[in-house]
Amino acid sequence: MKTAVNRLRGVERDIVQVPQVGDTAPYYEPQGNEVAIFEAAYKKRLPIMLKGPTGCGKTRFLEHMAFELGRPLVTVSCHEDLTSSDLVGRFLLEGSETVWQDGPLTRAVKAGAICYLDEIVEARTDSTVVIHSLTDHRRKLTIEKKGQEIEAHEDFMLVISYNPGYQTVLKDLKPSTKQRFIAINFDFPVEEVERKIVLNEAAGISPELVHQLVAAGRKARQLKDHGLEEATSTRALVYAANMINAGLDPVAACQVAMVNPITDDIELADALMEIVQAHFSA
Amino acid sequence: MAERKPSVAALLAQLERESHAASRDIEQSLPEIEPHGEQVTLAWLSACRALFDFDREAAKAFIRGSVEAERVSETVLPWTGQALEFMRWRGSWRALDGFMTNLPRAFGSLGHAGEKRWAEIGFVWCARQIDSGSAYFATPVLDLSGRQGISGVEQLSAPAEELFESRKLMLGTYLGGALRVRNLLGSQAILPWALRGADILQSGRARGEAYFRLESEESLALLLEHLPGFRLVDRNRLLAMLLDVWFGGAFDLKESSWSPEKGRPFVETDGRSLYVPAVMSSRDEAILAVLHAAGHMRFGTFDRSGMKSMFDAAKIEFPATGAVSWAPLFLRFGDDALRFQLIFDVCEDLRVDYRTQNQVPNYLQRLVKTAHDAGARHPDTGAYFDLALATAEGALAASRGKGGPDARFAPLLEPGATVADSYRIASVLYDEDTLPRVSDLEAMHAAYLPGRGPNATRLAHPQEKQDQDQQTQAGAEQQSEQQEQGEEESTPQNAEAGDQQDGGKREEVAGYGESSGSSTQAAAKSDGDRGKAGGSDKGVPYPEWDYRENRYKRNWSWVQEKRLAESNMAETNRLMNQYSNALKRLKKAIQSQKPTRMAPKLRQFDGDDMDLNAVVSYVAEKRAGRSPKADIYRRREMRQREVAVTLLADMSTSIMQHLPEGGGRLVDRVRAGVLLFAESMEEVGDSYSIAGFCSKYRDNVSYYNIKGFDEPLSQDVRSQIGGMSGRLATRMGAAIRHATASFEGIESRRRLLLILSDGRPEDYDDGGDRRYLHEDTRMAVKEAVSKGVHPFCITVDTMANQYLPQIFGTGHYLVLDHINSLPNKLPEIYFRLRR
Repeated sequence: MKTAVNRLRGVERDIVQVPQVGDTAPYYEPQGNEVAIFEAAYKKRLPIMLKGPTGCGKTRFLEHMAFELGRPLVTVSCHEDLTSSDLVGRFLLEGSETVWQDGPLTRAVKAGAICYLDEIVEARTDSTVVIHSLTDHRRKLTIEKKGQEIEAHEDFMLVISYNPGYQTVLKDLKPSTKQRFIAINFDFPVEEVERKIVLNEAAGISPELVHQLVAAGRKARQLKDHGLEEATSTRALVYAANMINAGLDPVAACQVAMVNPITDDIELADALMEIVQAHFSA
Repeated sequence: MAERKPSVAALLAQLERESHAASRDIEQSLPEIEPHGEQVTLAWLSACRALFDFDREAAKAFIRGSVEAERVSETVLPWTGQALEFMRWRGSWRALDGFMTNLPRAFGSLGHAGEKRWAEIGFVWCARQIDSGSAYFATPVLDLSGRQGISGVEQLSAPAEELFESRKLMLGTYLGGALRVRNLLGSQAILPWALRGADILQSGRARGEAYFRLESEESLALLLEHLPGFRLVDRNRLLAMLLDVWFGGAFDLKESSWSPEKGRPFVETDGRSLYVPAVMSSRDEAILAVLHAAGHMRFGTFDRSGMKSMFDAAKIEFPATGAVSWAPLFLRFGDDALRFQLIFDVCEDLRVDYRTQNQVPNYLQRLVKTAHDAGARHPDTGAYFDLALATAEGALAASRGKGGPDARFAPLLEPGATVADSYRIASVLYDEDTLPRVSDLEAMHAAYLPGRGPNATRLAHPQEKQDQDQQTQAGAEQQSEQQEQGEEESTPQNAEAGDQQDGGKREEVAGYGESSGSSTQAAAKSDGDRGKAGGSDKGVPYPEWDYRENRYKRNWSWVQEKRLAESNMAETNRLMNQYSNALKRLKKAIQSQKPTRMAPKLRQFDGDDMDLNAVVSYVAEKRAGRSPKADIYRRREMRQREVAVTLLADMSTSIMQHLPEGGGRLVDRVRAGVLLFAESMEEVGDSYSIAGFCSKYRDNVSYYNIKGFDEPLSQDVRSQIGGMSGRLATRMGAAIRHATASFEGIESRRRLLLILSDGRPEDYDDGGDRRYLHEDTRMAVKEAVSKGVHPFCITVDTMANQYLPQIFGTGHYLVLDHINSLPNKLPEIYFRLRR
């Protein structure tokens, strides 16, 4: 897919993109049986919910799977103002008349793509209800405003990601929504896998540095209960590794990639820096 | 002896007639004076005589000090003249005695010019109050100058001059404390310390003087706050996080009772809790120390089986249960106990640090580096420091797989090593007798590497093997509460630093932790420390903002949450009748205001539906050739009117005053207002709480919880409102902080803190400085806003326009021009705010 991006760099293109022959698969390092689960669910066209903390590889996993399965991937990042019209579509005015425009979900349903609703808890509950009829045996999308119903393409699949513990006190998926999904739990990969990932994503970094970096990242995750909303992610480690590759001092790289972004709390930042310095000193 | 001049001889003879004893002293001193010539000798002799006539004691002191004064100054006349000055004041012999004693040192360390200035400063004080003069001259010159020459003396006396001018504070009261403050904190700390003291002095003589003598808790607290270095107590959270990261699980961190004059601060542990001092010299040392102490807890220093085999090796009975005193282990060595203790600590610390290195990357590197930076060794115990450093470096090498420490220490690095091995190896090293003896506690303290410290200062609580891995706060607390309280006091940090000089063995024993039998009797003393940790009868501590220093004073104001003792149902009923019409009106208004369904927002640029009217006009305009805005959507806004509100009433004395126009007291209106507010809140259904506050001094802020958020408006609450009355003063900042804290756990998007007041924030101990509490309240308001709580002040003080804008900000307060309108207005204001 990377090459697909390269080919079309700077060009407006449709959100529905089928992987082309010759594209390389997005890198993904399996942590368990998630690939098998996904394939099985896809065989039966069951919707999937990816649960796990930010930056542990949910999106990458999906990109990888979509590529492997040869399906286009339509991603919608949900936010709190996301309405059902943003998903399904709306009437727009064009000249002197109104024109219906399909939303990304409708496009995916028609094209048989994998539709990925990222961080779905962020969206308002009334907009998440529209997916109900798509996620059970009906596999239909109702477009109320047009008074229509669309039968989903046989290859269509819905995937949502869901981040438990992330502001879930006030926002949570309705149980009726949750129970329509096959849920795969993600967590940060085990140390060895994480090292492999960092080595791969930041090619050229010395294994010794990766060793220290991953060790520091894992220690930093222990501070999660001390007021960090999000723990140090694998993505942050990759960023740090890339910064080191670009010539930055490891401690400074960790500070800008792993500490500063996740907290404004001075005390917490101090503790995180202690961890980083302990791993990189001498 | 040289020949005596006739004039001198005559004067001598005269003196002899007056006092035989004096003339003998004079005869002894005379040989030193005579070489200066006849004039000088005569002057000196006549000074002796004049002083003799003035006060015998004064003359004796003068003659006694003369020899040494002459020797150091190599003059006679200057100091003779100065001594004669003392005759101006009655009862000055003590001052003169101090003067003569210190004279040689004054000449020696300050020089002639400095000595002159030193004497002049003293004379000024003698003239003001002879006791202050005596105190000044009796203080050793080196202490006065702080080894900074005469400017040191002036630094010390300048604030005193100022305090005398403004507050009539005598030097005698101030001097002792000021010297200690300078020793601990440096000369720049004297002035702020003294100014604060002057404020306190104004609020009460006795309290102020206790402050200056460093006897009151507040001056000690202030000192601790100013101590330079890394403040562990403020960084408790950081330390707890680091412990969690490196060792996993929670540790029980407590503040130890260390104070500056107890010597070097150490982090200590008793196997259950970590005791941290307020301050340590550097961040590195502090973090090393906390990690090291946690290492002791995790790596078996307090392991029951390890300790038992150590005691067995020493042939001392090991108690089967309860806390264990280290004392018997060391007492075997008698006078040489400190030497053994140091050797043992080197071994045990090495063992623990080596294992800590596995847990905390680069721990030993940091230890070694910090130790290298530590500066000069203590002459008596440098050998221990160097030994510890060498072994730590050895351990570091071993952890890298290259080399290791001295063979004698190698067994300590083995994975199975226990505290008993440390004891065994320490005994061997002790018998080698190569390390110097140690007698002085200060020298002993200097022997420790940064982060390490005496391991045996507290009673040990042996831990079973399995619970070492999951040593948690809760587990530790199971033990008898009372016992714990007592121990804390009976074995405080370096408790003996002061007593040790008296040289008793008895005190030395206490250093290892007394047997737990003594704990109960000590419990009574611990008043001062109790509650430091948090909730207790002392209340909840909050910081207070000091605008003069631009910083927070930690744990400064203490808020006690209470229930209102008084309740008055009759008054409540009376008010309910009086205001029944008003209440009816209010309720009706509320019902009509209550939102029944969500209103759609029209003319949006984006939305779920078309706004038909907008579309029509859009199309029409478009047709007409114009280019209208495409705001044609309709959207349902989820307008959550979730509000939580606390009504915080000022319950200071001033609300008890009678209204100028008659018709009762202010408190009647306050009660009515609160009552109507509560009744109308019931109608609205918003979550609300009611509280009142008053204060007397910073450590006594009462917060009366009249109704909690989840409490129903019961008859009990109603009658409490009827019983509200005024008392004491208005420390508003602390009350706001407490009210803000009580919003915690209340889930609502909008949080409102309504403050009902009748005057400016003030308290008995603000030293007449109105601005102080104003500024503090302003900061408290700011803190509340940043925590998502919006304070709003309603006041009946018609002068409030002068200070409320600064405190609450424009638009965040309301001055009621008529007190009688308060009851009706209060609910109305609320509805206006929540809209």
